[in-house]
Amino acid sequence: MNSTDIQIALCGSAGDGTIAAGDILRNAVAAMGYRVICFDVYPPEIRGFGKCISRVRITTEQTYALKRQSDLLVSLDDSHAIPHAGEVRTDGAIVYESKPVGHCPEGSHMSGHILPGQIPYGIPLRELAEKTTGGSRSRNLVVLGVIAGMLGFSPAPFQKIIEKKFAKQGSSVVSRNLAGFQAGYDAGVNTFKLDNVYCVPQEKAASAGQVLMLSGNAAVVQGCMDAELNTFFGYPITPATTIMERLATSLPKRGRRLLQTEDEISAIAATIGAGYTGARAATATSGPGLALMAEMLGLATMAEIPCVIFVSQRGGPSTGMPTKTEQSDLNAALYGSPGDCQRIVIAPTNVEGCYRCAGKAFEMAEKYQTPVIVLLDLYLSNRYETVTLAESGPPFNLNANKPLRRMEAGELYHRYAHSEDGVSPRAVPGDMGCMHVVTGLEHNTLGRPNDSDEVHTAMSRKRHDKLLAALQHPDFTVTKRIGHSGRVKVGILAWGSTFGESLEAMFMAHAQGISCAAMKVVMLSPFPTEAVSAFMDDCDHVLVPEVNYEGQFAHLVQGILARPVVRLSRVPGSPMPVELILGEIRRLAAMV
Amino acid sequence: MTAQVSSSVSSPHRYVIIGNGVAGNQAAERLRERDPEGQITIITNSRMLFYNRYLLPQLFHEHKDWRALLAYPAEYYERQRIRVLRDCWVTSVDSRKRQVMLAHNEAISYDTLLVATGGRPYLPEELVECRHLIHPFGTYEHALAVRKALPENGSVVMLGGDMIGLDLARTLLALHYRVILVTHENTFWPHQPVGEERNQFLAILQKMGIEVVDGEAQGGAIAIEKGASGLPERRVRFRQGGDIYGDVVMSFYGLLPLVEFMMGSGTDIERGLLVGTNLRTSDPHIYAAGDVCQIWSEKDNVYRFYYGHRNVRAMGAVAALNMTGGNEHFSTTQDEALFQNEQGYIDSPFWAYD
Repeated sequence: MNSTDIQIALCGSAGDGTIAAGDILRNAVAAMGYRVICFDVYPPEIRGFGKCISRVRITTEQTYALKRQSDLLVSLDDSHAIPHAGEVRTDGAIVYESKPVGHCPEGSHMSGHILPGQIPYGIPLRELAEKTTGGSRSRNLVVLGVIAGMLGFSPAPFQKIIEKKFAKQGSSVVSRNLAGFQAGYDAGVNTFKLDNVYCVPQEKAASAGQVLMLSGNAAVVQGCMDAELNTFFGYPITPATTIMERLATSLPKRGRRLLQTEDEISAIAATIGAGYTGARAATATSGPGLALMAEMLGLATMAEIPCVIFVSQRGGPSTGMPTKTEQSDLNAALYGSPGDCQRIVIAPTNVEGCYRCAGKAFEMAEKYQTPVIVLLDLYLSNRYETVTLAESGPPFNLNANKPLRRMEAGELYHRYAHSEDGVSPRAVPGDMGCMHVVTGLEHNTLGRPNDSDEVHTAMSRKRHDKLLAALQHPDFTVTKRIGHSGRVKVGILAWGSTFGESLEAMFMAHAQGISCAAMKVVMLSPFPTEAVSAFMDDCDHVLVPEVNYEGQFAHLVQGILARPVVRLSRVPGSPMPVELILGEIRRLAAMV
Repeated sequence: MTAQVSSSVSSPHRYVIIGNGVAGNQAAERLRERDPEGQITIITNSRMLFYNRYLLPQLFHEHKDWRALLAYPAEYYERQRIRVLRDCWVTSVDSRKRQVMLAHNEAISYDTLLVATGGRPYLPEELVECRHLIHPFGTYEHALAVRKALPENGSVVMLGGDMIGLDLARTLLALHYRVILVTHENTFWPHQPVGEERNQFLAILQKMGIEVVDGEAQGGAIAIEKGASGLPERRVRFRQGGDIYGDVVMSFYGLLPLVEFMMGSGTDIERGLLVGTNLRTSDPHIYAAGDVCQIWSEKDNVYRFYYGHRNVRAMGAVAALNMTGGNEHFSTTQDEALFQNEQGYIDSPFWAYD
């Protein structure tokens, strides 16, 4: 065994520190040089007793999704963790509380639910926490110590992160938590291991850039900051809230502005207003917020004002399932405004993609003078991955605006002048001699209202055609094919976070001798017709997996290309299982 | 085999077995045959499924993964619908409520209970304080620890020398380790040779290559200490002032039945749980099998222990039959005497394993 590929699931109740433990774990192992993919699931209630799960996949090789089965499950609350015991693979380990407080009703203890092929490790977590810290709140740190000890991790990276995490709470809190970790570590080291969950010690790899552990939303923020976002307006909504929270810390440090508005309508209106003035502006929301923004998005399209909207999808419709992932806002992102409301919609497929898409969205918004929606989902927003950022600096063009020539005296400024590429030189308030009208009404090149059929037709064409150039936007991956080249039995056409699961399934299919390729479609509007069509030409069967009920992306592909695809649409509230995609690949590959 | 118990659909009979050894697993297997719908739960403090402890000495020949020692694969328990609660410690049995109380404050309800906890190693009181310097030998983990602690051609001081220890001694000698046996009244336990017969067997041990120290003449071992620099890791001191050194000290003074958790259950206990030949205790819902029970012997007119794999397995089967309405009686088929085999070495039915 010379590589590591283990997945640890920590499960507890809200307030147990489950997510915090997962956070320390992923940062510690990332600091050791492992590759990490993580995803946290938490309850919709702000406080209470809902279930929290933090899953951390630790590998030496690049991987693209979480595994269906975990190698190690840690229970901080058996009532929540018991239903997940079956997720642990044979010869995997389950760590749980061996000395719970008070009476334990029959059948409510983890020990009764561990399958014969799994290895039980009852550890007195509470007792260890109380002995070393004087309270049981540090059980999550004891558990981290147990994990580190059992897996042979060095304690130093954990200790460093714990010190940093609790530094603001004073040295006594730091030392108590370190003591809790150490108690767990000693227990872990002294536990006789019967499972076969191992980590190969990782030499920290020399990296071509800065390696960071980022969630999708954190990567969006990093992208925004590196693209020199100037102004942000937002209204909190799960799972997009952390974008605003992080920017609220980051933007003021650079003398920039963030305002929490009274609702999403105000947020998008203010974003468009800021964009109109020349500020680099953005907002972030989820499906319900996007619905409220629909009308104002039409204004941005009509007035050709750059703005960026980050939309992190969750289960819908309506309030839906705020803490469950889904890819069901595609239609709303593409079409969710009255009129022919052309816009750019891009969807990253991993955390690094979140960073790139965030920065590139501003380039596109400014270059094509249009709203750009960056479509994330809860799985991607909350998923953590190790990301390598280039040392050569942000890969973004910070001056994508079309140059504005100086107006001659008495010359009229045609804000919406027709041009070969459909993009008009954009003036902002204060530009000498560039007075013009901005309106939501259809207008002529001067911006003055005009509803003649000629003007409406020409302007509609202008707003549509200028976006087509985005399909060749520099240094931006619109689509990408991976896997076998040439003719293949099965092609997977995927978008957003489901592409990671698709890739995992594809590699598993390769291992089973199935000829298979996958294409990720990052730009969803304008649609990359040629690239997708060429990919489909090579495939006997095209499989479209997506986490929505209607198969919205499959609809899009079929609507544009009028070619058949095999739909794999599911709404489990969780990422598409790799095995499900693999099963479909195998079924299709077996078809004559 | 025809099922003797017809469980109602709504409430299958709940069989709980405390102990995951030969008796417990034999009983579980037979219970499933007799009652296909019954709920069978085995409770054990081990993290491992049932494995063959008779094979532990083999770990000194070659490293074996613990899975290679398993008597049944994990799938067997799933297929047989036998639930195994591992890493669980029984603290008491409430016979009135028919509940087994576990250390983590969970009560497991039963309709019929089988106690098959076996025994734990006996350690003379004067050595209890030194137990951290003694290598135990009852589990896979223990065996690996001894193997790790023993240097090549190293020496083992074996205190007592019951038949479990002497079985290990045979393996150690074959691998060129030095074995020093400190005799005790429990040497050869569970056999009890006396007088000249005992001396003859000790002489055979010496012929086999075991260095025999007359522990009784030395007044018994009273302390174990860490060896001084340049000497083996352990020093055993005797009451009469003498001492010996070894890399590892192990105690083999026989087993004591594990019955502490049954105190207060209302069942009759002497040294072990007292049962009739039908293996039922004084509580009609509680049975016992294996090294934990003392069975009434009409012949000897006493409650007595029966040791050895064959006896223990037969007890598990008899208990299961009677727990499901049968009327079977245990009788040993095993010759219990220590003997000298054709090679001139000692041998014992205690070592026989099917």
